Amino acid sequence: AATAPGKKITARLKRTLPVRGPQAPTLSELMRWYCLNTNTHGCRRIVVSRGRLRRLLWILLTLSAVGLILWQCAELLMNYYSASVSVTVQFQKLPFPAVTICNINPYKYSAMKEYLSELDKETKKALETFYGFSEGKSKVRRSVEDWNSTGSEFFQQIPLLKVEDFSRTATELHSGQKRRVEGSVFHKDSSIVNSGDSNDIIGFQLCDANNSSECALYTFSSGVNAIQEWYKLHYMNIMAQIPLETKEKLSYSADDLILTCFFDGLSCDKRHFTRFHHPLHGNCYTFNSGDNGTILSTSTGGSEYGLHVVLYIDEADYNPFLVTSTGAKIIVHDQNEYPFIEDIGTEIETAAATSIGMHFTRSRKLSKPYSDCTETGADIPVENLYNKSYSLQICLHSCFQKAMVDSCGCAQYAQPLPPGAEYCNYKRNPNWMYCYYRLHEKFVKEQLGCQQICKDACSFKEWALTTSIAQWPSVVSEDWMLRVLSWDKGQKLNKKLNKTDLANLMVFYKDLNERFISENPANTLVILLSNFGGQLGLWMSCSVVCVIEIVEVFLIDSLSIVLRRQWQRAKKWWSHRQRGRAGKAAQGSDLERQGHDNPSPVSMDEDLPTFTTALRLPLPQDSPLPRTPPPNYSTLRLDTAFSEQLPDTLELGQH
Amino acid sequence: MKLKKYLVRALHRLQKGPGYTYKELLVWYCDNTNTHGPKRIIKEGPKKKFIWFFLTLLFASLVFWQWGILINTYLSYNVTSSLSIGFKTMKFPAVTVCNANPFKYSEVKPLLKELDRLIEAALERILQPENSSDTVSPPLDLELWNQIPLVLIDEHDKDNPIILDIFETNQTAGGNETGMDSESRKKYKLAVKLCSHQGSDNCTYRNFSSAAQAVTEWYVLQSTSILSKVPLHDRIRMGYQAEDMILACLYGAEPCNYKNFTQIYHPDHGNCYIFNWGMDEEALNSSNPGAEFGLKLILDISQQDYIPYLSSAAGARLMLHQQKSFPFLKDQGIYAMAGTETSIGVLVDELERMGYPYSDCTMNGSDVPVKNLYSQYNTSYSIQACLRSCFQNHMVEICGCGHYMFPLPEGVNYCNNEDYPGWAYCYSSLRSSIKQRQICIDSCKETCNDTQYKMTISMADWPSEASEDWIFHILSYERDMSTNVTLDRNGIIKLNIYFQEYNYRTISESAATTIVWLLSSLGGQFGFWMGGSVLCLVEFGEIIIDSLWITIIHLISWCKGLQQRRARARYPDVPPTVSELVEAHTNLGFQHEAGLGGPGAQELPPEPGTPPPNYDSLRVQPLDTLSPDSDTD
Repeated sequence: AATAPGKKITARLKRTLPVRGPQAPTLSELMRWYCLNTNTHGCRRIVVSRGRLRRLLWILLTLSAVGLILWQCAELLMNYYSASVSVTVQFQKLPFPAVTICNINPYKYSAMKEYLSELDKETKKALETFYGFSEGKSKVRRSVEDWNSTGSEFFQQIPLLKVEDFSRTATELHSGQKRRVEGSVFHKDSSIVNSGDSNDIIGFQLCDANNSSECALYTFSSGVNAIQEWYKLHYMNIMAQIPLETKEKLSYSADDLILTCFFDGLSCDKRHFTRFHHPLHGNCYTFNSGDNGTILSTSTGGSEYGLHVVLYIDEADYNPFLVTSTGAKIIVHDQNEYPFIEDIGTEIETAAATSIGMHFTRSRKLSKPYSDCTETGADIPVENLYNKSYSLQICLHSCFQKAMVDSCGCAQYAQPLPPGAEYCNYKRNPNWMYCYYRLHEKFVKEQLGCQQICKDACSFKEWALTTSIAQWPSVVSEDWMLRVLSWDKGQKLNKKLNKTDLANLMVFYKDLNERFISENPANTLVILLSNFGGQLGLWMSCSVVCVIEIVEVFLIDSLSIVLRRQWQRAKKWWSHRQRGRAGKAAQGSDLERQGHDNPSPVSMDEDLPTFTTALRLPLPQDSPLPRTPPPNYSTLRLDTAFSEQLPDTLELGQH
Repeated sequence: MKLKKYLVRALHRLQKGPGYTYKELLVWYCDNTNTHGPKRIIKEGPKKKFIWFFLTLLFASLVFWQWGILINTYLSYNVTSSLSIGFKTMKFPAVTVCNANPFKYSEVKPLLKELDRLIEAALERILQPENSSDTVSPPLDLELWNQIPLVLIDEHDKDNPIILDIFETNQTAGGNETGMDSESRKKYKLAVKLCSHQGSDNCTYRNFSSAAQAVTEWYVLQSTSILSKVPLHDRIRMGYQAEDMILACLYGAEPCNYKNFTQIYHPDHGNCYIFNWGMDEEALNSSNPGAEFGLKLILDISQQDYIPYLSSAAGARLMLHQQKSFPFLKDQGIYAMAGTETSIGVLVDELERMGYPYSDCTMNGSDVPVKNLYSQYNTSYSIQACLRSCFQNHMVEICGCGHYMFPLPEGVNYCNNEDYPGWAYCYSSLRSSIKQRQICIDSCKETCNDTQYKMTISMADWPSEASEDWIFHILSYERDMSTNVTLDRNGIIKLNIYFQEYNYRTISESAATTIVWLLSSLGGQFGFWMGGSVLCLVEFGEIIIDSLWITIIHLISWCKGLQQRRARARYPDVPPTVSELVEAHTNLGFQHEAGLGGPGAQELPPEPGTPPPNYDSLRVQPLDTLSPDSDTD
């Protein structure tokens, strides 16, 4: 009674959901059915072919075709994320880039006197000691004592040293006393290899303030480099303590720097320039910075229509130790880009007309998954300290600054301040120099991981510059030119400007062709699919329909056949066990079930009825039922003829 | 009655194949087509039939969708670029060398004498107003001055600036100026006064932030007016001659001299000389990289003979360009400084583009609506030539005369102050007109094959202190046959122009989508989803024709039925029995025709015909469809 409702349900299910699959009770039958009825080309040949050799040949061919399809499709898939490059050139009105101009000397030396006088005195003394007045030691010592009494112990902390290479002893600048060099020696110059013969290498020693035994000695093959580097260290210390407003006042104003300005055939003045304070270059002025919302553009190329400025470089007011060259530095950049003038600036000579022809290129890369670049920098875990759009340079500098704040407790002077940090100086962080040098070395050796974190930007603009120089003003025009420019500057007429204080600069588009290099996906899904289709069709005349067929036959049908058989076997085994135990009662029920599963009298041998045969009416070949006759198309009839004929012939061949 | 025969034969074909009705046709198609889906619909059981029907529809729509995408892609005419870089034997670029200064001052002095005296006196007044006592002995040519005067603008009062003419009002203004300190003097600005007609009120003041610029601009305008009246051969004579300028020349190991240069008159720079222009002779090839195999030149720019107010920069202007193209030195030229050796490494950057419809460029400029004025030099089209021609054409149209810097169209004269008094005003307003520029930009197209020369420039001092003496001696002797040194550091330039190790970079375009690509992609899509080919499309077309046939047959039978009914209505007859009706409908066409006894009935032999297909479904169908008809009867 308990089994009756279950049986009813299954019966109803079978009635309402008749599943008609391949008319095959066994796997081999299924395969035969599949091969005969499939849409792919090879399988049919296997079944239809006569003779063992030919059949083997067809099996091999079919298998190799399948292999080829798999291989080619894998190739197609692997090449899916490839990009093709396209270059378009367009002639159009071009936006003029921002041009940032700086004097190489950051601050007016005359104005900086009060901050730098001690450092300069010290530097001069060092020069005297090492190069000029080596015999007048007593004088130096006395002045050192005087100087010591003023209380600037900071310069003493990092003194210049003369190192004797072999004995590893160093002579200190102030006291003249020798001290043994401990710790590691870093050579800042690569030419150190053949400097063994000279015994007066100059350098300085940086020590960990907390642990004086940990020291690093930096030596230079040339005293010029040593003194400049040493000066810079102290200079940065001093500058770090001066507030920004004061620094801006100490530097050049727009009126100081820019004498005349001409853009696109029209006159322009200091209102077109935006001030930008650079820690190492002082006040810089950006032309066309886009701050007032408009970006100038040019519709004509050529030197007449670009930016034409005359710069006033006050050579007499240069800092003698900090900068040793004269001129200006300019950088051409996008309005959203931060001008890394110390890294990629172009230097402008005085007493010359520098003409810079630009050629504009815009590039665009595909981001993930095609290449590892970033669109906005938002996915980079480094905070952007500059308020400009992302670039690799910005990321590296920010990353270093962050590491600096983390490990040294203060920020490096040349880069912007992270929130809550302040610039390093002796007073607060006596240890910072040692820390900075250590960190910088790590950074250069890619041990900080910045180079791994930072990715390049996906799109960037580039202005290729062609720089050429002419003499300016020419011999014959020098006289009136300088007089008129002096009048422009509003100076006393008796004091004429010197031509070595002037630089003429022209920045213009050579042509208004914008070259746009972009990466495009080489493959779209449509093309991938049609390539798949081409491969499948070429080797086996197969389509998605065939794939579905394969899934149907090989996964669903054959699995169901196997499962059915396993189920029957398990049941048989169970019934045998039951019979062994309980005798006839179990056997009866088994027979009963079998009878129900097979309403037609097809099950005759051990080949137990499959799921499909169980549900279906008898096989059409054997069924003598008076149903509608099969359609009498010749193709269909041929099919059946083959399927009937084949086994016989094969058996004949085997016998 | 041939048509009838034909019709009958076609009907037979139908009967043998797809059958008589739409359904028969459809079933026949599904069973016999080579497309993969439809066969399944017929072969499977009812549930699966539905699934397969759905799948087939889905795949068919997918195929059509993707075909749409593919055709769209094809019609967007994409290109793929290929880049190649390396070294090959290439044509050495044409090298144009000019002096930055157009004419020898000693030659043009008679023409510009008045102008120079004017500007000197004006500068005197501007710069040193306190001792403006008229020490000038000969009177100044104030008529020349008044054509385009320079004025001082007093900007102490921002809202109503006072305009001071330098020569006329100096008595009143000069007195005020003397007492001023340097700070307030800055408030004065120099401007150029431009009037549409002399003496008219329609004037503009071109402001300059710097007096140096104002003076230069004024001088250029005035000298242009004077020089434009000078005939061309005189201007060529006043410029630098090849034998004076080109002192030494060496190409590879072969010596060359000034005779190898083609002279061209360039309005900006006077006489220019082009090496290897390729106009008359074959262009030279260079098959080796490095300075040893390039062009070496020594030039003399004789800086002492410069026109002081015209160009303040001194040096040679040079440009590398393609053979047979006009050198636009203001755009692409570079300077070489006197007293230096300038080395220029060249990389040829070529861009080869496909023309229409792939990109909007022109092959030879013939389809550009601007008359190319530079064609008189026999040079090829370039965008610069187009833009300049466009400007000159506008200038001629609006101002009535041509600008001195550009070639003249036929029958037009250059502008000058005497004949066209308002030209400077007209030119200045045209030059700053954004609309005019936009028109020119829109009408000019760039060339499809673009060649640029990327230069790596480096400089060194030359001649060195030690070698200076003998080099000057030899060069002076060779040029002037004199034993004295006639050259100096300020005039002499050495140039090395050579190919770099990689001398070309070519970006060439090719069509990304060809018709072959389109067909194979379409085939791929069709094959991928449905296993179909073009033949399947043909099959489909055949079925459509067949179904049209069926429609025609139905129409004919329906018409016949109508006729019959009308005839019956006219001669009321015994209504047909049910069996007659059934017979009429199951055997469409033939029996009716025979039964009616039409005129063609005798000609038709009794058709033995194959019996109609004996499916129950098919047999049932006509009865169902036609039953309403029979009901109305």
